[in-house]
Amino acid sequence: MSNLKWLKVLILFVIVFSLQLTVANWMSFFDIAPDFVIIFIVAVAIKMGPAAGCFWGFFAGFTQDVYAPVEWLGANSISMMVLGFAVGQLEERFLTLNLPAKVGVLGLGFFVCDMIYYAVTGLSKDVITNLFLTKTLPECLYTLLIGGIFFYLDIGKKKKSHA
Amino acid sequence: MLRAIRFIVDLFTQRHGIVAFVFFLVLGLLMRQSPEPVRESIVSTALSTIYFPAQRVVSAVGHYQAVVEENEHLKEENARLRQETYHAREGLQELARLHTLVRFDDKWDYPIVTARVVGHNPGRFLTTMVINRGTEHGVKENMPVFSMNGLVGKVSKATFNHSRVQLLVDPNLKLSVMDRRTRVVGFLESMEDRRLTALVPAHAGIHAGDTLVTSGLGGIFPKGIPVGTVKEVRMSDLDVMRQMDVEPFQEFSILEEVFVMEKEPDWIVKELLDE
Repeated sequence: MSNLKWLKVLILFVIVFSLQLTVANWMSFFDIAPDFVIIFIVAVAIKMGPAAGCFWGFFAGFTQDVYAPVEWLGANSISMMVLGFAVGQLEERFLTLNLPAKVGVLGLGFFVCDMIYYAVTGLSKDVITNLFLTKTLPECLYTLLIGGIFFYLDIGKKKKSHA
Repeated sequence: MLRAIRFIVDLFTQRHGIVAFVFFLVLGLLMRQSPEPVRESIVSTALSTIYFPAQRVVSAVGHYQAVVEENEHLKEENARLRQETYHAREGLQELARLHTLVRFDDKWDYPIVTARVVGHNPGRFLTTMVINRGTEHGVKENMPVFSMNGLVGKVSKATFNHSRVQLLVDPNLKLSVMDRRTRVVGFLESMEDRRLTALVPAHAGIHAGDTLVTSGLGGIFPKGIPVGTVKEVRMSDLDVMRQMDVEPFQEFSILEEVFVMEKEPDWIVKELLDE
């Protein structure tokens, strides 16, 4: 992997976090906002494989941990690292993901990521159920919509460059 | 150095990234299990090093957003204040119109000369005084003189830079007055004992406490200058008239500054005075 590619991903990472802190807030309604960071991790893992998925997942999660309460340090890092690794494994070992599969992986990854996060932070079952229904589920749907548009545009761009 | 980096990258990407996965998992679990001071140290170190440039970018974006929001807020406030100013101006204009309608007789359009009282007559009773403004300043004979409280008198003699003012309490000064409430016109003069008295028609219904102002009929004083209040109403020698004691608004012995209204007598009065 060339250094330039890593630099591009780093710039993309900064842009995504800026979007998450600004645009995501503007796009939110009823306190439900899309998660651009998860879209970023899934996209990087699909493009660059499980090792890069691990690294960028961990880095993105750690960035969120740093700005979260200190007692939760590591929760996002682990959950997003697992997400990046799992998506990279899927892409590399089992199949070449088309658009529906990518969206499906994004949705599944979103759930897995949140579940790991809830488990790592040690929340009770009732709280997790409540958060799952009021936060994870609607935010997952919103993220799927945004991610679907992103993957669709990305595939269209690839087709054009191949032609 | 490059070899070392390449070695580490290769190591992490071996076996489909399982090494990297195990490494980051252990790192994450270590962070989770570490004591709070260590976590605090990790967070503070990260914030002050690798995240510092990103914080600058994010804070700049946030600042821009805040400025945009503040700008919008200020625009709204500006529009609201403009509207309030417009309403206030409208209100002031309306007030001026109403003021003109209600107290039209208080409106004088003549220039005013401010003068300082520089001398009183040496007699026992004060009937005239001297002011430090004369023809040089536009002061002429028979111009009305008044103070903040009310009518003082008229200019009886004007020199180049001084003038003599004939006070209301001078028995030689007689003027037409009007009751502000009933609008009945009467005649004001000073008695020999320097009391101000007014004669009005008996049917007028004027009583103590009423305010008298100049009627504007004498040709010298404009209409509406406050003169004094009615102290007492008495029967006159004539049945059809009433005599009233009047308390002037202005205490003449303590006058320091007066205003001369640059109003010359009406032409008919002027002709009579000239004759």
